[in-house]
Amino acid sequence: MSAIKKLFLSEKYYFLVLPALSWQVLFFLIPLLFVGLMACFEHTSEQLFAYPTLENFRLVCTAPHFAIIFRSLWLAMSTALFALFAAYPIAYFLAFKVDRFRFFLLFLLAIPFLVNILVQVYAWFFVLDKQGMLSQAFMFIGLSKQPINFLDTLFGVRVVMLHIYLPFLVMPIFTALEKIDYRLVEASLDLGASFFATFTRVLMPLSMPGIKNGFFLVLVTSFGEYIIPILLGGNKVFFVGTIISEYFFIGKDWGKGTAFICISCLVLVIAVLIWNFIFNAVTMRSKRFVS
Amino acid sequence: MIPAVLRKNLLSLYVLCAFLFLYIPIFVLVVYSFNQGEFPLQWQGFSLHWYHELFSLVEIWRAFQTSFIVGLSASILSLCLSMILLYGAKKFPYPVLSLFYVNILIPDIVLAVGLLSLFAFFWVPLGLVALIIGHTVLGLGFAIPILRARFDEMDDFLIEASYDLGASETYTFFYIVIPFMYPALFAAALLVMIVSFDDFLVSFFCAGSSTQTLSLYVFSMIRAGVSPTVNALSTIMLFISSVLVFVISWFNISGLEKKS
Repeated sequence: MSAIKKLFLSEKYYFLVLPALSWQVLFFLIPLLFVGLMACFEHTSEQLFAYPTLENFRLVCTAPHFAIIFRSLWLAMSTALFALFAAYPIAYFLAFKVDRFRFFLLFLLAIPFLVNILVQVYAWFFVLDKQGMLSQAFMFIGLSKQPINFLDTLFGVRVVMLHIYLPFLVMPIFTALEKIDYRLVEASLDLGASFFATFTRVLMPLSMPGIKNGFFLVLVTSFGEYIIPILLGGNKVFFVGTIISEYFFIGKDWGKGTAFICISCLVLVIAVLIWNFIFNAVTMRSKRFVS
Repeated sequence: MIPAVLRKNLLSLYVLCAFLFLYIPIFVLVVYSFNQGEFPLQWQGFSLHWYHELFSLVEIWRAFQTSFIVGLSASILSLCLSMILLYGAKKFPYPVLSLFYVNILIPDIVLAVGLLSLFAFFWVPLGLVALIIGHTVLGLGFAIPILRARFDEMDDFLIEASYDLGASETYTFFYIVIPFMYPALFAAALLVMIVSFDDFLVSFFCAGSSTQTLSLYVFSMIRAGVSPTVNALSTIMLFISSVLVFVISWFNISGLEKKS
């Protein structure tokens, strides 16, 4: 038996884990550690780590900074929740109600998933502009007399966030629903449960893993969103992503920037834990009466 | 009361609206890229003028070249690392693979800032190498779940049968393992390429001042204002992405059919 063959058949080829693992430690874990470390140090122009201090945190723990964090959190949470409610019927339709065009519809969903986000955001310029489609539609229905500019408004940011993150929620819910035997739903309806009861007692608990995956993915990634606020939000409102890049590129104040990242991540983790608790409570509640 | 026909098709109608919501902006974008006029919000007739204009820009070709080199290197690197990792992780006592799932679960900006400070600390010059490193980290997060799903389906007896029938280990690897993994490898390679092309934040922080990827170029163009040239560029990017998505899903489906 040669060396390679022995490697494959024996249980002692653990060292093959090393290349990817060291890459991960070196370029993923250590950078994250660096962010934490830099927040605890004072920087000079010559030295990245001059002397340890908690001054950065003190400077960042102010009301305006927390206002930015909670504004971002609110935007991320409302996007995730709204997208969840919008995505569930689509996932349900794709999983149970359509057969022949399923591949085509999934393909249509996968395109916005993988097309450059800049292209999609740019596409909205033509809808949200003062002479764009949305403003024209508003005038046509008679909701407004003058053309409205939706660019550089929070409304525009919200709509585009929903557009970008909707497919991120449809996909995991669809995969969860697809595994469910539809006869369970039919049995529940046959036995006299209303559609609402069937949904809360059968469908929702069974698709909860997908709901959670999608929700947390959207919550976490949209919290640090940079492109949408910077391109569509105007320069009036700051979010976590925009203020961090401001600290790094314009202020060149890496200490405060990293301290801000630490604090906002802490808030995000707390929010994720609370939402996880809520989802678990909802699942428990819907299971309580079943057995 | 809602008419019965409408009520029966309420769900289909809703899904139709959702897809319209997803596609109307993109449709408008594509239409205006063929507009003749300079001012992009008024239709003045069909023309390919802006595409012509686009292809004469030198910076765009340079940006595309950078993106292509970075994307290709990142996808080759992450595929090799993932395959080696999967071999090693098979009997590794700890769930080492789940460590990599975090890569796509943290906000991009945190990773970008971390990489920037790491490179600054070790005096690594920002640019091509820094970009390849960062995109490989992102790529691992996408490649490992895909490859793992396929790798777990592989039967160990397949390998042992190959050895029993006298095949060498290199032969087994290249004629049994790789062909079995082929659909997943292909899909993962394309996906990492797309992710690398689409990535903005890691490129934004790690590219430095002299290197420009396609995303960074598009960003600077959009910040400069709405122009039909950007529409033309976006349309081309949209087209390429759709073709790649189609190829990936077609490959996955044919792989599934073979299995069943």
